[in-house]
Amino acid sequence: MNIKQTLTGFYLFLAVLMVAPITALAAADLEVNTPAISTLKNSMQTRHGQLAAHYGSGAVGLTRDGLIAVRDANAVLLAQRQGVNSLVSAENGDRNALYKEIATANGHPEWEAEVRSTFAQRWVQKAQGGWWYQDASGGWKQK
Amino acid sequence: MLSHAPHRLWFSGISDADLHRNPLPPARRWMMALLTLVLSLASPSLHAVSSITVQIGAISSPNFQASDLNLELPLHSGKAVTLKTRLKQADSSWAEASLHCPALENPQAGMWRCRDAKLASPQANGNVSVALQLPVAQQPFKADLQLAAFSFSDRVGLHAGDKLAADVSLQATHDATGWRWQAALDWREGELFWQPFYFASGGHSLHAAGHYSAQALQVDTAQLKLKAVGSADVSGIYNLSGKRIEQLALQTSALDLATLYPLLLKPLLDKTSLNDMEMAGTASLQLAMQAGELQDFRLDLQQADIADRKGKFALYKLQASIPWSYDAAQPIALDYAGGHLLDIPLGAARLRAELERYSLRTPQLVLPILDGALTLNEVSAAWVNQQWHWHLRADLAPISMTELSTALGWPRMEGQVAAAIPQVTYSDGKLATSGAMQFKLFDGTVTVGNLSMQTPLGLTPRLNADVQFRNLDLGALTRTFAFGAIEGRMDGDVNVLQLANWKPVQFDAMFKSSAGRYPRKISQRAVENISALGGAGAAAAVQRSVLRFFKEFNYARIGLTCRLRNSSCAMDGVDGNPAHAPVNNTASGYVIVEGSGVPAITVLGYNHSVGWDELLARLQRITAGNSKPVIQ
Repeated sequence: MNIKQTLTGFYLFLAVLMVAPITALAAADLEVNTPAISTLKNSMQTRHGQLAAHYGSGAVGLTRDGLIAVRDANAVLLAQRQGVNSLVSAENGDRNALYKEIATANGHPEWEAEVRSTFAQRWVQKAQGGWWYQDASGGWKQK
Repeated sequence: MLSHAPHRLWFSGISDADLHRNPLPPARRWMMALLTLVLSLASPSLHAVSSITVQIGAISSPNFQASDLNLELPLHSGKAVTLKTRLKQADSSWAEASLHCPALENPQAGMWRCRDAKLASPQANGNVSVALQLPVAQQPFKADLQLAAFSFSDRVGLHAGDKLAADVSLQATHDATGWRWQAALDWREGELFWQPFYFASGGHSLHAAGHYSAQALQVDTAQLKLKAVGSADVSGIYNLSGKRIEQLALQTSALDLATLYPLLLKPLLDKTSLNDMEMAGTASLQLAMQAGELQDFRLDLQQADIADRKGKFALYKLQASIPWSYDAAQPIALDYAGGHLLDIPLGAARLRAELERYSLRTPQLVLPILDGALTLNEVSAAWVNQQWHWHLRADLAPISMTELSTALGWPRMEGQVAAAIPQVTYSDGKLATSGAMQFKLFDGTVTVGNLSMQTPLGLTPRLNADVQFRNLDLGALTRTFAFGAIEGRMDGDVNVLQLANWKPVQFDAMFKSSAGRYPRKISQRAVENISALGGAGAAAAVQRSVLRFFKEFNYARIGLTCRLRNSSCAMDGVDGNPAHAPVNNTASGYVIVEGSGVPAITVLGYNHSVGWDELLARLQRITAGNSKPVIQ
């Protein structure tokens, strides 16, 4: 092996080292299933039926950090605003737990932030037309 | 009618920049302008003028803009007044706003009155009646405000009221150091959402009196009445420059928990395990603060029933007396007649402890459970960083498994459970134990060690433990779970067990025939069932062979191991070791039942990896299918 080959090999090694964390994340299984994850997903699924109307009316929007927030409660009857608040806080509790569980189930609890930001993009992609979401700067936009 | 040229006062384009050039803060400057205007109205020297029109081009602040403001003020009593403007809040669009008073009356010097003024704007609208007595000629300042059909909302709608009817009055007399005041609010009708609280209707009132100076707001007496809940008396001093509570004394009446919980407690407990409760009984609270710090309080619960709506826990006929003082240790008492925790029934208990500032101590708490009791010894707890940290020793006096299994909805089991745990700690939502819990079950023992739990009452509870089974009577076990009769004894080890939401997500499990001499027989049904665990093919093979003529076989060893990871069970037989993943050689089988004597049978497993959900489904089919006798 001449010196050129050795150097090339060395650079390749360096490149792999640098790319490794990214490819490792790309390998994160976002569909991984554990009892905790399926409990959280069921709980979110059930709640979605109640939240959908509020996404549609613009009362609730998707935030850039993979959570949801009350955007304009005026679209909701006064008597139901507390309920919307509770729905939002329960949903955010589940979402935070879900991101943590998925990272843990992948054997990399430190991936939580990346899982969260991937999900944040996914929620916006999956959102129906007319729903509101936060852009990168935190401003509300309608899909 | 005399016609006089109206005075026109022009302000154009008042902006933040203009306001900042002025040494007075904006609020002060507006007050000054208003005061000048009001005082000039009160003065009798303007008789020659019929009305004043004020027009302002634009007013702006970071969150709020107004433009085209137009105010027509008549200078004679009994004439209409109209204020019109266009308003814009932050990023919302421009909207018209107006205030129209049909007749502004000035019955005496310094007194102005208007009935049924109409306020219309995107933020607030409704009818307002106002009577204002200005502090001129030795008169006290007095303001009476009546709101009817009044609605308001902030931009996001988190502070809003609808169809409100309320009377507000304020009276104040100037003294040497400030103002002596009296205030009353009588909220008669309408709903209010003030995040996170919601009041569906009126009937609430507040009456207060005190003193106000530049340094302090003093409340001598205040009584707050909440309809259907109860009342509270408050007094105190708030230091305005230091922005802290110098003194506060609060005393409530017996508050109805059934109405107090949904109105005030539930919104405050939204992120805790107490966020979905049903309550009854009464609570009263008394507390005192001094120099910004809580000095003492006393919470009493009478005949309280508290139950989680999702059924996680409940306590009934709860009587509690919880005094607390910053300076001295206080004895607390808590009695209840019954309840349950995660489906385990709790019997009547009398709990006593000592509360000293931010720690709690007691030599012993006895919690009766079914026919036994959990005794917590040398309990100490500390409230640090807004969380409780517990440390104690626990002993579980034997509880009959018959009652426990029934309570938990398990198949009925004989035996009992007892435990001696030298150390239990609970900190940051994590419960950890040292020592072991011992179950006497199926004539053998089950030992649970290294038990720890995370957020047991949360949405995703987690449990870790190592479990040992020794010398279980297979006859009793297979009858209980309707598996098909096996005679013999069995040992098992389930290590690094992890449950998430009470379902297994990880373990290294190994079950093997116990050492020693005892009869070893396995029924045809049990053989079929064991084979069926590994898939349908093996069972069919047994049935087709001549062995189906025998009801019972002799065996030397039974063994099955399962290493559960990622919802998949790696299986092996009598010679397996679940701590190591088995060699994935799908071609060769592994021995689950090793035959011996005549008639003997050997059951082989070929499935090296089975999905955990599939395995559970097979087990369920087997035990359900076998609950009725099979005649062959």
